[in-house]
Amino acid sequence: MIALTIEGLVKKFGDTVALDGISLRIEPGELFFLLGPSGCGKTTLLRNIAGFYIPDAGRILFGDEDVTKLPPHKRNTGMMFQSYALWPHMTVAKNVAFGLEERRIPAAEIRQRVHAALDSVQMGQYAERKIAQLSGGQQQRVALARALVIRPRCVLLDEPLSNLDARLRLEMRSEIRRVCKENGLTAIYVTHDQKEALSISDRMAVLEGGRIAQIGTPEQVYRRPRTRIVADFIGETNFLKGKMQSLDGRKACIETGEGIFEGFLGDPEWKPSKGDEVSLSIRPESWSLQTMPAPVNAVKGRIGESIYLGEVAQYRLQAAHHDLKIFELNPHISARGEGQEFFAVASADDVVVLKP
Amino acid sequence: MSLQFSRLVFLATAVFFGLFFIWPISETLYGAFIGSDGKFTIDYIAEVFRNPLYVEGLWNSLQMGVWSTLLAALIAIPLAWMSDRFLFPGKFLLGALVLVPMVMPPFVGAIGIKQILGQQGALNALLEDIGLLDPAYPVDWLGEGRIWGVIVLNALHLYPILYLNVLAALANVDPAMEEAAENLGCTGFRKFRRVTLPLIMPGIFAGGTIVFIWSFTELGVPLMFDFTRVTSVQIFYGIKDIGGNPFPFALVVVLLCSTVLIYAASKFFFGRDSHAMMAKATSQGGPRQAGFAMGLVCSGLFGLVTFLAVLPHIGVIMVAFSTDWYQTILPGGWTLSHFESALGHNLTLPSIQNSLKYAGLATILDLFLGVAIAYVVVRTRLAGRQILDAMSMLPLAVPGLVLAFGYLAMTQEGKIFSFLNPTVDPLIILVIAYSVRRLPYVVRSAAAGFQQTSVTLEEAAQNLGCPPLRTLRRITLPLIAANLLAGGLLAFSFAMLEVSDSLILAQKQQDFPITKAIYELYQLLGEGRFVASALGVWAMAFLAVTIIGTSLILGKKLGAIFRA
Repeated sequence: MIALTIEGLVKKFGDTVALDGISLRIEPGELFFLLGPSGCGKTTLLRNIAGFYIPDAGRILFGDEDVTKLPPHKRNTGMMFQSYALWPHMTVAKNVAFGLEERRIPAAEIRQRVHAALDSVQMGQYAERKIAQLSGGQQQRVALARALVIRPRCVLLDEPLSNLDARLRLEMRSEIRRVCKENGLTAIYVTHDQKEALSISDRMAVLEGGRIAQIGTPEQVYRRPRTRIVADFIGETNFLKGKMQSLDGRKACIETGEGIFEGFLGDPEWKPSKGDEVSLSIRPESWSLQTMPAPVNAVKGRIGESIYLGEVAQYRLQAAHHDLKIFELNPHISARGEGQEFFAVASADDVVVLKP
Repeated sequence: MSLQFSRLVFLATAVFFGLFFIWPISETLYGAFIGSDGKFTIDYIAEVFRNPLYVEGLWNSLQMGVWSTLLAALIAIPLAWMSDRFLFPGKFLLGALVLVPMVMPPFVGAIGIKQILGQQGALNALLEDIGLLDPAYPVDWLGEGRIWGVIVLNALHLYPILYLNVLAALANVDPAMEEAAENLGCTGFRKFRRVTLPLIMPGIFAGGTIVFIWSFTELGVPLMFDFTRVTSVQIFYGIKDIGGNPFPFALVVVLLCSTVLIYAASKFFFGRDSHAMMAKATSQGGPRQAGFAMGLVCSGLFGLVTFLAVLPHIGVIMVAFSTDWYQTILPGGWTLSHFESALGHNLTLPSIQNSLKYAGLATILDLFLGVAIAYVVVRTRLAGRQILDAMSMLPLAVPGLVLAFGYLAMTQEGKIFSFLNPTVDPLIILVIAYSVRRLPYVVRSAAAGFQQTSVTLEEAAQNLGCPPLRTLRRITLPLIAANLLAGGLLAFSFAMLEVSDSLILAQKQQDFPITKAIYELYQLLGEGRFVASALGVWAMAFLAVTIIGTSLILGKKLGAIFRA
């Protein structure tokens, strides 16, 4: 188990700056996610860690060892590729054995370790199959076994589930977490699927235009996004425009077109002053609909549209200046007819104050 | 692969090209433009155009090139169209057989053609038998029109190159394009002319260029037909006094310049805009089952073309087995003795050995160079890699005759490369000559392999601890083995059949390859042509197996190899 440290990493392709000074530390045994929209630099960062790109500036450390200039084959990382990159001219067992053969492990031990690795991903009986004879999910398991069997210093996963269907994705994401945790591996997982990141990561970094927008646990990032883009990218949210009234530590009081709101600053280092324009981010599930008004954090509006989904209902509430999306768990939709007037109320803890 | 290593590979291949492609051509240019006093002159070139013999030769060469190409296109385009559109009885076999003529040495076929169409040949005998011809006045079919014999033989030899190109181009045409034309009321031949033909024009151009250059400078066939008023043969005869005579140099330069000019002009007119398909095919086209009549037409045409194309070679085979064949439709009797005397002749066995040695070594060299060049071109971002790519395709555009002459010129006594002089030992220079000419095929097939193989397969190996060179050996080469095999087989079979380099560069009897041995045997009086035919049959049987095997391995991809 090693920690992974990245210091001031810069990577340019011609005039395009793909990574613009990335610094982060990944703790030993952590399952760390790199998340962001396409083009944000997350795959570029992973390929720098794997050694397929050499950065223009900055350092990459595995534990205390500087690997910035080390060629890929000397880094001892186990990478899982988006396309799996399984070799079609070899059997399943040969694919998994490859890394061990390169390490000059005795044949008997190779056999035993390949066997164990395939068993651990439930692919034991497919050892002699050709790659073309496997389904997508099976190929994914083989790719995982091949990356892990060499006991790498860290595991690099490049959108490993993006080629699977929805049901298999759910199953495999807990499988990947189980295997990483059982083997105590430091793992870096690249994805654009926020559900994957929220569900199984220890911590995540959200990238935006080659920079890190936020690092934190899933709950930190979801509940206290630091920028509008993070709030928008992770989960769904409603933005309300407003003006700063007063600030007490992180707690802020905002005047909006819908009324007075109280909430907490997303970015603790940000010090807005009175009268500054701000945005409020309030998640759809944070609202509750009621018939009585409230002094703060309430929006008056009419139900515009309602979608009943069984366990949850989605409403559009048309207020004076905003259209709000509201989720209600265990809904009674017959009591929420179109055109009816309600007050949507959120608790101050669920209101995040962001730069506009 | 590390940057330094890529640069080294780049440098090595570039140096090889400089030495054995650019140098011989420069040496030829030097001989043509520098007078005996060491000063620049255009007198030699001017003299070529003043000499009516040379002008006639050039005119005949041009006719040979143009008519052979047109005739080949006339054969190839309908065949390719049928193969693209229809399923017909025997398509798989006929589709492979139709390629066989490509590797049948046309100058061996010339022996057969003369046997069939000559004054004392089978056709006249047939006409006399059925009373259409007076035996006292036999028609000399190849007399005045012997250039047409050469043209037909060239076309029947080269149409497969066009066929493969057009087939590949047709496969790329989005069926929706033609459906759109039909939807707007344009059907049948009109649709073909207005929509399909313009779309496949780049393919026709690519194949047509090779066919033209090949037939424009063809040496073997006119030589066998004793058709001497053609530039290639004039150069061949001029080689005997290469030391003191500047005119062969001037002729070669005129030939080279005409090739380049004609290539540029036709590229300007036909190959200008390659119409990129806007989207991938939206509907599954695919050939459909031909109706009974259409099926009959397709199978019939494929069969007829194949038959006509191999007819000269059937003639050769019959000559090889016949005791006597003079003024009769079929040979007077059958015998195996020519094969025995062919094997017994002191030219034969060494020539087979020599050919295997030259062609084998050339193929190995080609594979090394081809993989290296394709790697640099496809897998690296080195500046100048496109130049290397373009350079490796150039041997397709430069006539073999020109290169062969250049090799001879650069190894003359007193030159830096005189230690490679073919009169001493032609091994090295012949292997290089063979390999340079076939390099484009190997580069193309290797590059196609690299392109089809996702680079992540190599990255995965490196990620698991495999260094770059070993990754190439353990992952990439096995994955592109089929491409390399096909490219290598093709290079090998063409090298076995090579005419210009062999006739010009192999000068001592013990160094003759098969083609030159056949040529020399044919010159012998008496049973010469029978023994030459027997040797030709051995070569053809061997090559037919090779090319059918290759086409089965590569399928439609075979066409991609033959592009200029």
